[in-house]
Amino acid sequence: MPDNNILEMRQIEIQFPGVKALDKVDFSLRAGEIHSLLGENGAGKSTLIKCLTGVHHKDGGTIILNGREIQPQSPQNAIELGISTVYQEVNLCPNLTVAENIFVGRQPMKFGQIDWRTINSRARELMRRFHLDIDVSRPLSYYSTAVQQMVSIARAVDIQAKILILDEPTSSLDDNEVKLLFQVMRDLRAEGMGIIFITHFLDQVYAVSDRLTILRNGHLVGTYNIEDISKVELVTQMVGKDMDTIFNLKRVDVDKDAPYVLTASHIGIPGQVEDISINLRKGELMGFAGLLGSGRTETAEMLFGATKTANGEIELNGKKTEIRKPYDALMHGMAFCPEDRKVDGIIGDLSIRENIALAVQARRGFMHPLSRKEQNDLADKYIKALGIATPDAEKKIGELSGGNQQKVILARWMATDPNVLILDEPTRGIDIGAKAEIQRLMLEMCEKGVSVIFISSELDEIIRCSNRIVVMRDREKVAETDGANCTQEKILAIIAEGAQGAGGTKS
Amino acid sequence: MMSDNRNSSGRSLISSILNPKFIMVYATVGIFLVIYLFGVVAYGSKGFTTLRTFTNLFVDNAYYGISAVGMTMVLITGGIDLSVGAVASLTGMFIAYGTAVLGLNPWVCIAFSLVVGVGLGLLMGWVIHYLNVPPFITTLTGMFLARGVCALISRESIEIKNETIDALASWKLYFMYLKDGEWTRIRPSAFVNFNVILFLVVLAVGIYLLQRTRFGRNIYAIGGNEQSAKLMGLPVGRTKVLVYGFNGLCSVLAGIAYALYVKSGWNLSLQGAELDVITCAVIGGTLLTGGEGYMIGTLFGVLLKSMIPALITFNGNLLSWWGKIATGLLLLLFICIQKIVVSSTERRNSKSKKAAKNKA
Amino acid sequence: MKQRLNLSVLMRSKVTWAVVAEVLILIVCLIVRPDFFSISYQPSTGMLYGNLIDIVNRSSEITIIAMGMTLVIALGGTDLSVGALVAVAGAIALKFLRWDVTVYNTPGDYTVYPFFLVLVVPLLVCIVMGLFNGFLIARWDMQPIIATLILMVCGRGIAQILTNGKQFTTGYSPFRVIGQGSFLFLPMPIIITAVVVILVSLFVRKTAFGTFVESVGINRKASRLSGINAQLIIFIVFALTGFLSGISGLIYSSRIMSNDSNNAGLNFEMDAILAVVIGGTSMTGGKFSLLGTVLGSIIIRTIVTLVYYFGIASEATMAFKAVIIAVVIVLQSEPVRNYFSKRAASRAKLANGGVK
Repeated sequence: MPDNNILEMRQIEIQFPGVKALDKVDFSLRAGEIHSLLGENGAGKSTLIKCLTGVHHKDGGTIILNGREIQPQSPQNAIELGISTVYQEVNLCPNLTVAENIFVGRQPMKFGQIDWRTINSRARELMRRFHLDIDVSRPLSYYSTAVQQMVSIARAVDIQAKILILDEPTSSLDDNEVKLLFQVMRDLRAEGMGIIFITHFLDQVYAVSDRLTILRNGHLVGTYNIEDISKVELVTQMVGKDMDTIFNLKRVDVDKDAPYVLTASHIGIPGQVEDISINLRKGELMGFAGLLGSGRTETAEMLFGATKTANGEIELNGKKTEIRKPYDALMHGMAFCPEDRKVDGIIGDLSIRENIALAVQARRGFMHPLSRKEQNDLADKYIKALGIATPDAEKKIGELSGGNQQKVILARWMATDPNVLILDEPTRGIDIGAKAEIQRLMLEMCEKGVSVIFISSELDEIIRCSNRIVVMRDREKVAETDGANCTQEKILAIIAEGAQGAGGTKS
Repeated sequence: MMSDNRNSSGRSLISSILNPKFIMVYATVGIFLVIYLFGVVAYGSKGFTTLRTFTNLFVDNAYYGISAVGMTMVLITGGIDLSVGAVASLTGMFIAYGTAVLGLNPWVCIAFSLVVGVGLGLLMGWVIHYLNVPPFITTLTGMFLARGVCALISRESIEIKNETIDALASWKLYFMYLKDGEWTRIRPSAFVNFNVILFLVVLAVGIYLLQRTRFGRNIYAIGGNEQSAKLMGLPVGRTKVLVYGFNGLCSVLAGIAYALYVKSGWNLSLQGAELDVITCAVIGGTLLTGGEGYMIGTLFGVLLKSMIPALITFNGNLLSWWGKIATGLLLLLFICIQKIVVSSTERRNSKSKKAAKNKA
Repeated sequence: MKQRLNLSVLMRSKVTWAVVAEVLILIVCLIVRPDFFSISYQPSTGMLYGNLIDIVNRSSEITIIAMGMTLVIALGGTDLSVGALVAVAGAIALKFLRWDVTVYNTPGDYTVYPFFLVLVVPLLVCIVMGLFNGFLIARWDMQPIIATLILMVCGRGIAQILTNGKQFTTGYSPFRVIGQGSFLFLPMPIIITAVVVILVSLFVRKTAFGTFVESVGINRKASRLSGINAQLIIFIVFALTGFLSGISGLIYSSRIMSNDSNNAGLNFEMDAILAVVIGGTSMTGGKFSLLGTVLGSIIIRTIVTLVYYFGIASEATMAFKAVIIAVVIVLQSEPVRNYFSKRAASRAKLANGGVK
């Protein structure tokens, strides 16, 4: 094996209060390779990266960069050492211009002043390299998340680092943008840069990387050449157990004559989503498929009253109902787990108990408080039923892992005993084991007669669980198919057909 | 290929002038002009239109302006500094007590004030960043400290009688015009004094720092998103500490200007000035959430706020406390405009973001 | 070992440091004045006298306001307008304590308006002003600090206009009772404060209101999506703070039997916020402690009393206040607390290892 490693991390150890986040992990990166880092959430990928970028400090082990031992103290220090990073969430300043975001902290100077002209022209050139023809003198907040993500990649690339770390950069990009990113990555590889690539999408790993390293629970599982490991092997290594649980999940059949619980006719908000009609039967699981931004989330938010519906009407159990705010929806027996769990779901500093009791309490109003005992009973019941991994109910929800947070939010709504449960991307960003469990819970709810709306970007999930599938595209509902005899190809075809049409008319 | 509909081709002067980031500054300038025009129409006959009225806005409020420059920077980082009035008052006290009671050279007093003011600013910045104490509380404690020291020095107002100070205070640059080959003062005479020059110099330094140096751009970055700024490798701690230090410098300079203006030192002078200064900055379009703000806006904010007492004086019938109410209403008006601007750009952005997403 | 670990938990609690600070200051007081804790009974007024009683009595205005401020800060905001509201309440009360000038020409024990108006109108106006703050914050999504800055700037102007810039005095005895009377041997303000503290605590902790305030303070959007009426919570908190400022204003003006639009409630917002922070509630919002706030307010007052003993001018107390507050706040700051709790933990470990 050629040993042209530019980076070598040996026996890295990091201790967090109560847990060993990394236990003697080895990792190496060669010049001119794309090296994927894989593992479930909490496996230690981010910790390893943050150790390299100076956010966390290691408690043991050595980092060798180009033959010299280094001790990154801060992100600034890491950048000086030639390590540049693109984080999962866009880590730029929304108030600065695109150009400035690329150059801030290292602006070209002229006569003791910042040379704005050069900044703007160089930024424009750089964005062209990414096939983006945008006005770089506009504030970053003016552009979509995808563009922002590209800008942060451009910044990382322009620093001319020896090592580029991409921490889930593709989660907000669509297929074309991902292809573009891969092209850029390959170009950089050809120039001799070492790239560390973290992603949840296994296809992307195979599409672009040379080698991959798998972590599990803070331990190194192994480093493999991409051709030496199959997808199944890879997943088994990541999870550490076989995948039977997932493949055993089966959709729950729904009675064809079951009454409609929720009927929405022609609801919409001009400019956001328009003319959506759905009928949801009792005990039915309806999947919402479609690309990011196709209007799935907007529809869910309208149904739940998180945004006010402008047109159309909603019937609950056959009665016309007006839902103006989430409180109304709650009072009508609806429940909603929002897409962005960290921002819209959890109340970080409150305990698991308080988070679980929150919606029940909101329904009763603050003048009729649940007693401490009732709260404890609720919390204990759901911690047990959902298998939430926590020492006790008084732990802050913010300190839990993503999957467990999602379960607490699910518990919050299950405690209200809803008729209609809307789940917006409940399985995003959580590990495979937790994913399977959440799907199992969802199906159990259906069995008990709860109607579920399930939004997900992962088609296999939707097809596996749904009785009916609604396909969204361009902020409209474009198709509705039966879940039982639907295939991934069929849905993709419906989405793709529209995408070409829309692309043709607009560009 | 991704492209954005608001792009390229017309990347001209017009598009840079219409850049949404300047809207708040335009609003300030616009409201200033409206109120000025109102003054012209209502009190033009009483002499509102003269150059003197305009220059007096500067002469009477230079110390606010000087302080507002530093405050704008602090606010852009997303912080706040409540100690400015007290530090300025302390400076006046040092100069008055030093020259009148101790018989020191005024320059020694000024140098001492600078060391104390900048030192306190740096210390507060350090506490805010490295001990993670909220700016509000840290600078409130700084304010109590400075006020208390003021009172410890003297509880009486001390008059400043010193040749150097007198010379500085009475130096005036009159506006002249050429008449029959001779320079004549315009009538009614209009002038700028040392304070105004000091204000304009500090303002120019502020603009240079904010727009032309990495330090200034780091200030904006920190205000935009401190966490991101840190991850982008910017020197967040150093920048924040220096900003509070610079604001300490501005407070001392404002204190000097105020001492020159009233020629005395008093422990209760400039009480509540910190909120007036913050008001000036907010009226000037600076966001208290950080990340937005321009020195030019602050300049007009100071002018706008100082025009209210001027108008009340010209009216002659209104009692001075109407000034407070008018300032409050102005603040309300301004926040409403800000609200409308922000929400309309947000709406447009979210629409265009969706459009961009859907194009894929 | 268990005790040691508890120690590390205590070290991390902010309220602990407040208690320690108060005890230390009291010890210094005791050294300076050995008779500091003595309390005497004055039969002529039917009241107990003593330094401790005086401290609690004089902290009443701030404590009452700080109860509301705690909730405001728990919501993640600050209310700068409370001091101005104190002035407004005083101005309105004194406006209603007029007498018939054709009959009497000096202030005395008389009023033309019924006494309940003197009490109710100022409080109502303060509630309305609190609602105005709440409206700007809940409905227009303004930052609390700016929204309340408006009334802070305007408020004193309004008080001036209401009284036409004049300072009124009164000698009406029922009004005097509020600030200078006594009940159960204690000064009336202490009784009022105790009632306010108990009622607010009951309201907040015996209903789910406190949890909702914390929830909205931590994550307003998520709270709304969980079905909490966040706007209503904000309205109630700001109206309550306005109401409490009104009560504080009545006590203040009853102490001086006059209105003072310029100085009534001056810097009260600052003291109230300090009391809350010293009491261990974080300015970023979320979890709060009403008891800590009461303690914080008493600490501030104790410092002032201590400084009097050193014979230092009242204005200069600010400097000492600043120094002591700085020490408390630095001790409470995250890095310092982490340092202490780490040390306590490592000592516990050592002890544990020794046993083994």
